[in-house]
Amino acid sequence: MTDRPDWNDEPMDVRLRDLAKEYNRPGGVVPREAMWQAIAPAVRAAARTADVTPDIAPSTTRKRRHIAPYAWSAALAAGLVLGIMLEREVIAPHAGSPDAGTLPVTDSRQVATSTPIPANAGPATTVPAPEATRVAAASRQAEQATTSSTRARDGRAPSGRGATSVDADAGRNATDTQQLYRLAARQTLVQAEALLTAYRASDDQPRDQESMQQAGRWARDVLTSTRLLLDSPAGNDPQMRALFTDLELVLAQIVQLSGAPLHAGERELIERAMRDRDLLPRLRSALPAGATTE
Amino acid sequence: MDGLQANECELIARVRAGDEAAGRALYDAHVDRVFWLAYRMSGRHELAQDFTQDAFIRAFARLHEFRGEAAFGSWLHTIAVSVILNGLQKVKRFDQREAVLDEAVMVPLPTRHAEPDLKERLAKAIDALPDGCRTVFLLHDVEGYTHEEIGSAMGVTAGTSKAQLSRARARLRESLADFAGEWVHD
Repeated sequence: MTDRPDWNDEPMDVRLRDLAKEYNRPGGVVPREAMWQAIAPAVRAAARTADVTPDIAPSTTRKRRHIAPYAWSAALAAGLVLGIMLEREVIAPHAGSPDAGTLPVTDSRQVATSTPIPANAGPATTVPAPEATRVAAASRQAEQATTSSTRARDGRAPSGRGATSVDADAGRNATDTQQLYRLAARQTLVQAEALLTAYRASDDQPRDQESMQQAGRWARDVLTSTRLLLDSPAGNDPQMRALFTDLELVLAQIVQLSGAPLHAGERELIERAMRDRDLLPRLRSALPAGATTE
Repeated sequence: MDGLQANECELIARVRAGDEAAGRALYDAHVDRVFWLAYRMSGRHELAQDFTQDAFIRAFARLHEFRGEAAFGSWLHTIAVSVILNGLQKVKRFDQREAVLDEAVMVPLPTRHAEPDLKERLAKAIDALPDGCRTVFLLHDVEGYTHEEIGSAMGVTAGTSKAQLSRARARLRESLADFAGEWVHD
């Protein structure tokens, strides 16, 4: 992996290179398990992606060009969109059941407004269903959308269908991708709004280390989703992009400071960042009525 | 194709077939190096964790694009470097935007009067390098990447990478010139 050594032989240069190896020198323990929890759904999604790609295009170049948007949809499905499916596949079927009140959005409302994050109640009660469940649900939708999308891009219509049908598929699937993005964005915004509302409501509550870490993990999940949405080519709405950028900044701050109980100055820092950006009002106005925690 | 690469190809095929354990094996084989690269570049444990997660998520999402023409590790590291650089740009933007708040709210740390030692000076000099120079310097001289790999990860030519490296070294020599005499006599 290394080029021919072309560092000057001057003693200073050699010494600099050696000393530079001490810069941010790796050490400690790699948090393998914690990271794997977030990565495992992508592995499962990779298998589903592989199922539908081999016959798409023969050459690497062509495949790269045509599959990239597909990969985005799969990534969205694997990591983000799922939560939205909760509304369709989890929340809706339970809407009339006695358990409905314990489901994510409703639950986060309860936590945020009437029970401001107690010291031993972490965000787990407000986080949506386990990642695996969410991935399974969204990937089904993404597969349907993207499989027909790639067919349409390649001009391969299902047998018995003509060019007009392919065009219609292409248009429909572009819409599908946008819809997936909107669903993912909405779910992330719901989570972010619940998180920030709960965070503000937890003012003056004594917080132990465990609950701080739980809050940090929750914020980290939402932050990851936010960053993926920001990077998504589907996220080309300037207004949403600005909102996600501001959200990312505040979430990163919460994640960064979540390792220990906050000092008053640190809490004020986060509060000001939220206030200056009108973050909560903007989040709430971006969400449909009934989806917020207020 | 050596045994290791053949084994990785088999693992990749199994991941594509839906074998999560194979995915875990690939992850275990590469996660340390990716994580420590992220740590080296960011200097922060939590950022290294975020970047590593993102890199693997993207790699698995794009696994169908991996043709086996290069080692899986090289391909993965190209993705990782790209994720890290993008992430660091965002962090930098965040830090800049929050700097004003920091100044307004945080109690200033006491000023250090002691002359920092060489390692500290070097670390500061590396931090002060322009982004491109710093990245190339760390990847090439510290992590052992080739200019071709760096160019591929950063979206520049190998020649640009070499030029950035040369500039980085010159700047470091300049920043630490007052130590030069000591080193010559070591």
